[in-house]
Parts: sequence; C-alpha cells; structure tokens
Amino acid sequence: MEILLLAIVLLPLLTALGIKLVDKFINETLINFLTINSALLSFTIASGMFVLLTMEKFEPIHFTFFTWLTSPEILFEFTLDGLSGIMMVLVTGLSVVIQIFSTSYMSQDEHYSKYFIYFNVFVFSMLLLVMSGNFLVMFFGWELVGLSSYLLISFWSKKQSAAKAGNKAFILNRIGDFGFLVGLMLVLSIFGTFNYEKVFDEVLAGNEQSLDLIVICFIVGAFGKSAQFPLFSWLPDAMEGPTPASALIHAATMVTAGVFMLVRISPILQFSEIGKIIVITTGLLTALIAAFSAINQDDIKKVLAYSTISQLGFMFIAIGSGAYVAAIFHLVTHAFFKALLFLGAGAVIHEMHHEQNIHKMGNLKTRMPVTAAMMGIGTLAISGIPPLAGFWSKDEILASTFANGGIYYGFWALSLLAAFMTAFYMGRHWLLIFHKETQNDVTQVSEAPKTMLRPLILLGLFSIFIGFINTPFFHGVEKVLHETLHSVDITHLPEGISLIILAVISIGAGFTGLLLAYLIYIVDILSYFKVKVPLKKELKLLSANTLYLNKLGDLIFVRGLKLASRKTAVVVDGLMIDGLVNKTSSIFYNSSKRVSKSQTGLVRSYVVYFGLFMLLLIGLFIATPWMLN
Amino acid sequence: MIEVSTDWYLTLAAILFSIGFIGMMIRKNALIMFMCIELMLNSVNLTFITASRHFGTIEGQISVFFVLVVAAAEVVVGLAIIVSIFKKQSSASVDLLRASRG
Repeated sequence: MEILLLAIVLLPLLTALGIKLVDKFINETLINFLTINSALLSFTIASGMFVLLTMEKFEPIHFTFFTWLTSPEILFEFTLDGLSGIMMVLVTGLSVVIQIFSTSYMSQDEHYSKYFIYFNVFVFSMLLLVMSGNFLVMFFGWELVGLSSYLLISFWSKKQSAAKAGNKAFILNRIGDFGFLVGLMLVLSIFGTFNYEKVFDEVLAGNEQSLDLIVICFIVGAFGKSAQFPLFSWLPDAMEGPTPASALIHAATMVTAGVFMLVRISPILQFSEIGKIIVITTGLLTALIAAFSAINQDDIKKVLAYSTISQLGFMFIAIGSGAYVAAIFHLVTHAFFKALLFLGAGAVIHEMHHEQNIHKMGNLKTRMPVTAAMMGIGTLAISGIPPLAGFWSKDEILASTFANGGIYYGFWALSLLAAFMTAFYMGRHWLLIFHKETQNDVTQVSEAPKTMLRPLILLGLFSIFIGFINTPFFHGVEKVLHETLHSVDITHLPEGISLIILAVISIGAGFTGLLLAYLIYIVDILSYFKVKVPLKKELKLLSANTLYLNKLGDLIFVRGLKLASRKTAVVVDGLMIDGLVNKTSSIFYNSSKRVSKSQTGLVRSYVVYFGLFMLLLIGLFIATPWMLN
Repeated sequence: MIEVSTDWYLTLAAILFSIGFIGMMIRKNALIMFMCIELMLNSVNLTFITASRHFGTIEGQISVFFVLVVAAAEVVVGLAIIVSIFKKQSSASVDLLRASRG
C-alpha cells in the first residue's frame, strides 16, 4: 500500500532521472515510450488507489515514510483523502493526455528530452504538493512546482522574452511564497506541529483565538501561486512556454495549487471572517479585471491565460463564500476544459507555424473541423452552457454565493457580470479564430495530426460529461470531500425554485455573452446601427493593457526600486560609508604628517626634547607638594 | 676655614651635569658628545657618593660600581659605532646622520 503510494509520486521523478541519464543514447521514440508508459502506470495506480479510497468511504489514510526531526516532531508524511485523491487522479490523468499531445507538438525540438525531464519533475512536484500530510511537505511541493514552472516557462531560453517571463513568474511567486513561509513559522510556533490533523484538532477545540494572521499569510501564498490580484501579471507572460506545458501547469494544475491549499486549510479558514472577506473580494476583483482584459487580447494564448486568471478568481469567490466543494468542483471541470482549450490552441499554433495573432486567423473551421469542434465544446463549457461541465460548477459557485445572503447578493451580481464577460470573450476567441470570414490566406493550414486530435477528443468528451459528477441531483464531489471537510461549515446550495431561477439567470448570462460576441464580431452590429460606444478607444486600450497595472507595477517596483537603489548607492554607500572611512584615514594621515615633522633625525634635537621633558619632570617634583598643600 | 659640606659636592655635580648636557646639545662631533655623556654619568656618580657619605650608607657606592661597569661596556660599543660612522662619511658629525627624519 505504502509502496504504491510512493510509486505514484516517485515514478515521474524516476522517469525524469532516467531520461536524463540515458539522454545521449536514446531517440524521441524511446523517450515517448518511457515517459508515457510511466505516466500511464502512475495514473493507473492512482485510479486504483482512488477506487480503494471510495470503498473505504474516503476515510483519510496516513502514511509516514520517515521521521525527519524529533523535536519538534516533523515527519515526512503523506495523507490520502478525498481531496488529495481527486487532485492525484486529475494530475496524473491530465499528465498522460498532455504528454501524448506533447510528443507531437514538441517533435523535432532541439531539447526534446529536456522538455520531458522538466515535465516529469513538475508532475512529481505537484503530486508531492497534493499528497502532503503536513504543511512542510506541502511547502516542498509548492516550491518545486514554482521551480519547474520557471524552467518550463523559460524553456526556449534563447528567446529573451521567454527568459524574462520565467524570471517574472519566479519573482512574483516568491512574494506569495514569503507569505506561505511566514505562515509555516506561525503554525510551528503556535501549534508546535506541522501535521494537518493535529493543527485542525487544536483549532476545532477552540484553543487558539488569533488565527487571522496565519490565515492571511496562507492567503498571500495562495494569491501568488494562483495568480490573483495583484500578483497575477506573471501568468499571461508565462505563455512564452511550450503550449502543452501551459495547458498542464498554467491552466489545469499548478495555478490551482492555491485553491487546493485554501481548501486544505479550510478548518482554519472558516474561523477567520476577515480572511474570507479578503479571499472573496480579491477573487471577485481578479475575475473582473482578468475578464475585462481578456476581451481585447490578440494573442491566442493570452486570451486563455486571462480566462484562467478569471476562472481562478471564481474558485476564490467560492472559497470566500464557504463553498469549498464548489471550488474543488470548478477546479476539476476547469482543468478539463481549460486543458482542452490550451491544447486546441496548441494545435492551431502548430498548424499556423507558430502564428499566435488571432486576427491573422479566421475561418479555420473548414480547415481544422475536429479542432474547431473541440474548441467549440471547450468554449461552450467555460461559458456555462448546460449540460456541459462548466455550467454545473460555475452555477454552483454563483448559487452558493447567493445563498449566503446580505452583502453576498452584491458579490453574486458581480460574479454574474464576470461570467457574462467570460462567455463574451470566449465567444469572440472562437469566432475570430474559426468562423470569421477573412482575407488571410489559410489554405495551407491542415488538420492537426492524430496524436494531437486524440487527446483533444478525449478532453472534449470529459468537458461534456465531467460536470455530471456533482449536480444538484447527485452530489459526487461533496461525497468525496465529506470526510476531509467533516468539521467545516460549508455553504449549501439553495433549495427548490430559487436554485432553478439562479440557474436560468446564469445560463442567460452565458447565452447573452456568446450572442453578443457573435453580433459584434461577425454581424458587426455596432457599425450596422452606427452605434457610438463612448470612450471606445480608451476602454479598448485599458482592456488590452490590463488597466495598465503591469506598467504601474513596472513604474513603482522596477523603476522605483532601481532609482532608489541607485540613490542609496550614491548617498548611503558612496557619501556616508565610504566618506566616513576615507575621512577617518585622511585625518590620521594629515595629523601624523604634522607630528612626524618633529622627528628631525638630528640627535641633538632629541637631546633638547629630552632636556625639556626633564625640566618638566623637575618642575612637577617641585610643584606637586606645593599644589597638594 | 671653609667647611666643604654636602651642598658643595651636589652643586659641583649639578654643574658638571649641566656642562655635559649643554655639550650634548650644542656639539655635533660624535666623540665630543660621547665625552659629554661620560661627564654626565660621572656627575651622577658623584651625587651617589655624596648621598652615601651624607647618610652613612653603602648602597650609593654600590650603585656607582654598577654605573662604572655599564659605562665601560657602553664605551666599547659606542666607540665601535663612532669608528664605523667615521669610516662611512670620513667625519664624526652626527648632523649628517638624518635617516630617521620624519
């Protein structure tokens, strides 16, 4: 049992090491054989474990591999419960599908083996993160996914933009990691242990009152990793990496680590009102800003990147309103349809010979019918059109937010706006690429190869059907997470007629968004009716530049820091520290120069000094008794 | 008849010492300066003897023997130095030796 669990985590690492060792002697086919089979094996074991877990009614299983420190006791331990089980199956499953896609996408690349080494290291790190049994092991996984994400973003490191994007992602992530690290120290100093169960038991016993600080530290960590406002600008830049890597890391799994972590600490989080408010407002802000920015992006992958940020915002809204099940459910469905969209985009990019501007595409549906159909499914799913996956999860988030009442009605309305915008920009995305009549010459474009299409079709099927695992009629995910969240106060869906009304409203938002996109970008209704949108140009610029937040950050942090450090170098280091040292030495130099003048080198003058001092001494002898009296 | 008291001896010693000291200051011939040192040493010896006689103790006279021995040793070294200085610059003037000027 333990060995199987260890195998799931270690297989990707061993594969990476294996490929690295025999790198020089093997060709692409052998690498494919190695990596895909190990991923399949890992996935099979993970599925088996999940079935086993289902039979055990999702009672958490703990494994301790070794004791690391004895005082305070820190173990290297794993926990397998519903939450980590879902993530484990998700990560290994998507890893198989995306690696199959990658074999075709990355084929003929200079660093083919390096790509798969990094990829496997990432899968290993992510599994370590989700399977962790205490905060410290999670932190290892957390840092390692940051590292492998950095390696994959700057995979084509000869491109300067890729190298820069990698740095940006790493540095912005460090801000979040700092929060996580402080949180870790607080946990250790307050509870004296890292183990989840023990910490949660302490919290539930009501022994600790000051949880807000810990929660806020972990929330900062989650914001960094999950690209929430204001730490989100690394994710659109991260699209410099290979598209399949973006699909797995920057859409489906790694960026959801923050969501996973917040659900993991939900027994603590539920007691911190301020933490919940921070999470929901930031999530909302992120969802809106990212959706607004996605409307005017021209890069096929950047649209998807902003949409990822926006969907992550939805998951944070769910967490903030206490709907942890809905958050995980949306995480799962989002992983499938976003991986589908990214791989579809990858197929398009591959066939367009690395052209990424959507205005240079158009009417590709005649050329790539299967890709177009699958991307269409993904678009409908993310827009929340029933019965596809996105509808069930997004509607559950919206309904749970609504169910909280009070100020949450406002949050609900804004989330609905974000959902509407999601449908709008995704509609625009699909229509501009696949539908719009265009002068661009796309006759050379052909359908993607089978190794790309098969993963797409598989993910397409999942995007249609995965939503049924947790519907109002069958609470699958809730059952899975029941044991994990048994002590957590979960917001439940409203009952009866209000649920139906809410669902109708959110479907309406989705349809309206898609319809509006069709009317504006295909029928061109704005110029037909000569509608003048006020401040159109300004709005467009604002959206295309993400409210200029990137530039603002650049101005304040990059240039500001550079200026400040330059000034510090001149004033503090140059004038104050160096000046002090130089001044001291020059004082000694000058004074000793003056004193040394008295050393004439003439014996007779020394005799004179000697005589003078002797006179002084005699004077003292005479004067002392007189002065004492 | 004038009685030669202790004061006289001390005054003589002081005069001798002053002569020696002034000689040290104003002469630049190494040999003369050496003689001045000897003069000063002997004036000190005279002071010791005087004090010894005045108080009727022996310690002063013992000290004089020590001073004499040290002076003899000093003469050996000092004369050798003076000879080598003279060989180097064919003059015994100490003003030419200013290597330790600051």
